[in-house]
Amino acid sequence: MKTFEENFTAWVDGILSEEERLAFEATLDKDAPGERNRLLQLGELLRNHSPAPALSNPDFFNHQLLERIAAENGAPARRGQSPWFVPRFIFAGASCFAAAVLLFHFLIPVGPVENPSSAPAYVAQFYNARTDDPDVSATAFHSKKDNVTVLWLDGLDYLPETADLK
Amino acid sequence: MPGEVDTAVAEEDVQLVAKCQAGDTAAFGELVTRYRTKAFGMIYNMVRNEQDAWDLAQDGFVKAWKSIDRFRGQSSFYTWLYRIMTNVTIDWLRKKQIASVAEFDENIALAGIEPGSATAPKDEPPPSRRLEQAEIRQRIDAAIMKLSAEHRSVLVMKEIDGLQYQEIADALGCSIGTVMSRLFYARKKMQGLLKDLYENV
Repeated sequence: MKTFEENFTAWVDGILSEEERLAFEATLDKDAPGERNRLLQLGELLRNHSPAPALSNPDFFNHQLLERIAAENGAPARRGQSPWFVPRFIFAGASCFAAAVLLFHFLIPVGPVENPSSAPAYVAQFYNARTDDPDVSATAFHSKKDNVTVLWLDGLDYLPETADLK
Repeated sequence: MPGEVDTAVAEEDVQLVAKCQAGDTAAFGELVTRYRTKAFGMIYNMVRNEQDAWDLAQDGFVKAWKSIDRFRGQSSFYTWLYRIMTNVTIDWLRKKQIASVAEFDENIALAGIEPGSATAPKDEPPPSRRLEQAEIRQRIDAAIMKLSAEHRSVLVMKEIDGLQYQEIADALGCSIGTVMSRLFYARKKMQGLLKDLYENV
């Protein structure tokens, strides 16, 4: 079953059979023949006023094209000429799979999982400060397991005499 | 037109294609020489700009060269080439999105309009007549540029290139029904845009 658009186009182009034409024209309004003429005029207008310009410098066209082909690789891709030939998409898929396996192997550690209870006790860093001297910093840690707080001084050559550390 | 390559030419084409498939670029150059004018004209009718048509024809031939080993001779070489050129052009039109949003482009419309050109052959119409024709072409160009890539390609292939429905369907990879439907809407739109023109010319 053709749509109205298909029938209309076939009617304008005059390819409906006599029977089809009569049946289709019965569904159209009185102005249909005029409409068809206008569409035929439109086609004529397009044909008469749309000549493509000639290709300028045709020899240069060939020259530029063959230069481009030579630059891009030369011969077209050959298929099935070598017993080692593997279609590119299969090769690409296999390469991606191999890369994924390697990445998984090297980046994700595989082995016995440590018992969480054997992991180092939680150490909280609760203080970190630097002085005007960029090489000197002070950091305080608290180890829950040992129940001890450590003040880590870094970058000092010596402790000031006034410091009273115990 | 795809169906209009005669048998002798088609046989020569097959031989040239075989050489191309063996990597012979000179043979491909010969095929380009045979079909460059047709390809350029077909593309020009769709893009309405010489430089773009030149570039797209180049792209189309490069694509044809790269995939020539897939040509199996089930259709004529030109039919196969025409399909490639059509796809390249439609892809470009879609990317540029000039189909539905394009405004009148003076640079495009004025291309080739030089009524006083000293290089014009003497048997051409007088300048006033040429100017009138140029104006008509401007109107047609502007109207065609308002069509979507799909409608434009069908209209150009049918009305200007004179292809049959089946040839258009083959080139576009769609059904004949789709071709006829697109042609209906393309004609209706052009009718609205050019009504005053074709009734008076």
